[in-house]
Amino acid sequence: MPEIAFVKPAMPKHGALVLPIAEDGEPAGLHAALDKASGGALSRALEAASFKGRKGQSATLWAPVEGISRVVAIGLGKSAELTAEGAEAAGGACYGLVAKEREAMVAAEGLAAPVAAGFALGLLLKSYRFDRYRTTEKEDDKPKLEKVAVATDAATACKNAWAPLRAIADGVFIARDLVSEPPNVLHPVEMAERCKPLEKLGLTIEILGPKEMRKLGFGALLGVSQGSAVEPRMVVMQWLGASGGTAATKKKPAQKPVAFIGKGVTFDTGGISIKPAGGMEDMKWDMAGAGTVIGLMAALAGRKAKVDAVGLVGLVENMPSGTAQRPGDVVKTASGQTVEVINTDAEGRLVLCDVMHYAQQRFDPRFMVDLATLTGAIIIALGHEHAGMFSNDDTLAQQLSAAGKPVGEAVWRMPLGEAYDKQLKSEIADMKNVGGRPGGSITAAQFIQRFVDKGRPWAHLDIAGVAWSSKDLPTAPKGATAFGVRLLDRLVADHYEG
Amino acid sequence: MIGAKVRLRAAPKPGVALAVPLLAGAVPAPWAALAAGFGAEAGEERDCATPEGRVLLLGAGQPRHATDWEALGAAAVRAAGPAKRLALLARSLPAEAAVALATGAALAAWHPERQTMRRLDLVVDQPLALAPAWARAEAAVQGALFTRELTALPGNVLHPGAFAARLEALAEHGIRVDVLGEKRLRRLGAGALLAVGAGAAHAPRLAVLRWRGQFAVPPVAFIGKGITFDTGGISIKPAEGMERMTSDMAGAAACAGALLAMALRNSPAPAVAVLAIAENTTGATSYRPGDVLHTMAGRTVEVVDTDAEGRLVLADALHYAVSQHQPQAMLDLATLTGAIVTALGSHRAGIFTNNPALQAQAAAAGDQVGEALWPMPIGARHRADLDSDIADLKQCCAGPLLPDAAHAAAFLREFAGETPWAHLDIAGVRLDEKGLPTGFGARLLDRLVELYFEHPDRH
Repeated sequence: MPEIAFVKPAMPKHGALVLPIAEDGEPAGLHAALDKASGGALSRALEAASFKGRKGQSATLWAPVEGISRVVAIGLGKSAELTAEGAEAAGGACYGLVAKEREAMVAAEGLAAPVAAGFALGLLLKSYRFDRYRTTEKEDDKPKLEKVAVATDAATACKNAWAPLRAIADGVFIARDLVSEPPNVLHPVEMAERCKPLEKLGLTIEILGPKEMRKLGFGALLGVSQGSAVEPRMVVMQWLGASGGTAATKKKPAQKPVAFIGKGVTFDTGGISIKPAGGMEDMKWDMAGAGTVIGLMAALAGRKAKVDAVGLVGLVENMPSGTAQRPGDVVKTASGQTVEVINTDAEGRLVLCDVMHYAQQRFDPRFMVDLATLTGAIIIALGHEHAGMFSNDDTLAQQLSAAGKPVGEAVWRMPLGEAYDKQLKSEIADMKNVGGRPGGSITAAQFIQRFVDKGRPWAHLDIAGVAWSSKDLPTAPKGATAFGVRLLDRLVADHYEG
Repeated sequence: MIGAKVRLRAAPKPGVALAVPLLAGAVPAPWAALAAGFGAEAGEERDCATPEGRVLLLGAGQPRHATDWEALGAAAVRAAGPAKRLALLARSLPAEAAVALATGAALAAWHPERQTMRRLDLVVDQPLALAPAWARAEAAVQGALFTRELTALPGNVLHPGAFAARLEALAEHGIRVDVLGEKRLRRLGAGALLAVGAGAAHAPRLAVLRWRGQFAVPPVAFIGKGITFDTGGISIKPAEGMERMTSDMAGAAACAGALLAMALRNSPAPAVAVLAIAENTTGATSYRPGDVLHTMAGRTVEVVDTDAEGRLVLADALHYAVSQHQPQAMLDLATLTGAIVTALGSHRAGIFTNNPALQAQAAAAGDQVGEALWPMPIGARHRADLDSDIADLKQCCAGPLLPDAAHAAAFLREFAGETPWAHLDIAGVRLDEKGLPTGFGARLLDRLVELYFEHPDRH
C-alpha cells in the first residue's frame, strides 16, 4: 500500500508528477512552474494530446525535465461540479498511470482539502492488489509505487481530512483481503482468528464455537455447518466509541449500540442441493457480508468513531457430505421458530437468522443492518450497480440511500409485503427456507424479517451483485470491492455519532 | 357489455341472494340476530338461509381504501358460488365505497369460459344520485374486462389479423382505429417489428387507436406489446409452460382496454394507443440471432436472442408514437421479461422511467386501483452492456444471472427520446394464481389519465 503524505509544494527531484486539471482551470503552482522549466513542452504536449481536463481524460508526458520521469495530467471536469467522489474517481484513474514509479507527487495546490484528500483516497483504494499467491511474477511486472506526496498549501486541513479516510481505507483493504482469500485457506476457524488482531484498534473480540452455539440453540446455523469438516464460528466485535473504554472496563452504555450482521459462508458448494460446476469458484466470496462487517468495525475503531457499534458474523462452510443437512430437514432456530429446509443452497438466511436473534437478545440495538451475498435473484433484478435494500423503516432506508451515493456504493430499495411472505408457508414447519423463483430476493428478505423483533429498525442489504466485480471500478481493481464498508461508515458518520 | 350487468336499485329484489358487508364492531339492528357471534373481521363470511332468501354476511373489518371495498365485492361474488344474480347491500355507505364494492364484484364475476353470474344489483339509498359515479367506474371495469377477454384467447384464435379486427370493432365507441399492414410498415421502415413477425403465417401489424377527447393538447400515448403467441422464435423456449405465451399480448390489450375505458366515460383528454402486433414463431423466414435490424428510428440493432422480441417491436412502436403524435407523456406496457418475475414476483409490476414525476403519478394511480408498481433502476452500466460491435446497440445480453429487465428498459429508453416515458414490465402480474388474465394496466392507465391529464388547465 503506498504511503500518502501531504507536503508543501516544491518541484520533485525524481519520480512522477501528477497534475489534476479542471476543464476551466488555469495553470498555476507546480503546473505553471514545470511548463516554464520545460520551455512550454507541457502545454504543447497537452495540446497535442487534445487534453482538455474533461472527466476521464488523461495524458502522459515522458521526462520533460531533468529528474522527473513522467508527468501525468488527469482531467477533473468542471471545477464547480467537482465533488470528493469525482476526485476519488480521478485519483483511481491516476493510479494505473503512476504505478510503475516508486514516488509520485500530486500537484493539488488548487484543490480544496476534501477534494485533495478524496483524490488521494481514490488513488489508494485503486492500488489494492492481492498477490500473495503469485510466486513467479517478474519484478518488472509488479507495481512499485511506495510514496505519494500530495502537494498542498493547506497541509493541516488535508491531514485532518485524511486521518479518518486512511482508517476507512484500512477497513476496505481488510475486507478485500478476506474476500479474496481462497476457501482452503480462509475457512471459518481461520476467518475468526483473523479478527483477533483487530483488538489492538480497541475492539473487543469474542469468538464462539459449536459448543456455545449449541447451548444458544443455533439449530439453523449448525445445520448449515454440519456437512463441513471445519467447525463454525461466530465472532462478536464491539466498539464502544461513544461510551468509552472496552466492553470489559466500561461502566454504563451511553446509548444502545448500532448493530451490523454479516453472512460468512467461507465456501458455498450449495450442499446437497449442489450448485452447477460452472462459476462455483466464485463462491469463495460468499462470506463478503461478514468480511465487510469486519472491515467496517476496523474502520470505525480506526477512526475512533463516536458511536457504540457491534458487529456479528456467522462463519460456516456449506459442504455436501455424509453428515450434511438434507432437503426436507426441519431445524429449530435460536428464536424457537422452525424451518423446513427445502433447498440447502438457501443457507445464508439460515446463518443470519440465528446470529440476528442473538444480536437483538444480547445488545437490543438501535437498528440492525445485515449484509449478505444472499441471492442470484438480486443480480437478475438490479445487476451490478446497486445492492438491493430491504427495510422495515423508511428513515433508515432513506439514510442508507443517501449515504451510499457519495461513496459510490449505491443501494436500491426493493419491496417487502405480506403477499411475498405467504410464499414461505410450510406444511410441516413455521416456514420454508425458500419461496420459489418469483421474487426470490424478496422472499429471502421476508424470511430474515421473521427474525427481526417487532419495532426494531432493520435493513437487509443483498450484496450478491456488488461484492465482487468482474471489471475494474473507479476506485477498485476487479475482484473484491468491500462494498458496504464505506456505505455503513458513512451512515454512522452522518447520523449516529455524537 | 362484457361480464355481469350491474344495476343500481333502491331495494333488493325479493328472492335474490343478498350480500351484506358488515364493519367490525358495528352491526346494524336488522342483522343483529343473524350476526350473533359474527366478529365482522376482514375475511369472515357467513352464509344464512332466511325466510326472505339467502343472506351472505361479509366481514369488512375496518376498510380504509377503495381497494379494501373492491376486495369485499370480490369476496361477495366468490361466496355466492354459482348464483346467477346477487344483490350487494351498500345503503348508508359513502359513494366511493359503494362504487368500489360493485367494481370488485363485477371484476370478480368475470370468467372467460364459466361465468355464471349474470347480474349484480347494487342496493343504495339513492340510485339516481350514484349513477354518474358508477358510470365512470363501469367504464374502467369494461376496459379491464375487454383486456382480459383478449388476453384469454388462444394463439390460433387471436392471431395478428384477428387481434387487429377486434381492435377495429372499437370504432363503435368513437375510437379511430388505423391498422398499418406490412406494406405501410415497410414504407415506414419498421424493420424491427417486421423482423419479429417474419416467421409467422400471419403478418405483423401496427394498430393505432385514437381518442380525440376535448382538450387541444398533445395526447397521452400508450404503447403496447402485442405478441399474439411467443414461441421464442429460433431461440425457442422450452416446451414446459409455453402455453402461457398466449398472454404475451397482455400489454397491448391493456392499452386498448384503457382507451376503451376513456371512450366509455367520455374522457376530455386526448389519447393514442400504438400497439405492435406480431406472432413470434419459428420458420424458414424467421429472423435469426446475429441479424442486424434497421429500426424505424434509423438505429441499427444486433439481435442476440430472438426470444427478446418484445423490446424490438416496442422500439418501432415507441418511435412511431413519438414521431407521428408528439405525445406529452408516453407509457409502454409489456409482458417483457422473466427477470422482472424473478425480481418482483407476481405481486408488483416493475416501472422504469426517464421521468420521475411520471413514474410517481403512475405508481399513485396503480395504488388507487390495486395494481401495484415498484420503481426499478436503469443504470449507466445497463446501457453500456448493450454496446454492440456491429450495430448501434445490442437488443440484450447473453449468459446467466443477467439484469434483463433493466437491459430491456435501457434499450427502450433509446427510442423514447426526450418524451417523458415510463415502461411497465407486467410479465409477473398478467395472470392471477389460477392462470386467468388480470387485465393489469387498463384501469391503471385510465386512472392515471383521470388523475393527472384531465385537469382544466390542460385545456
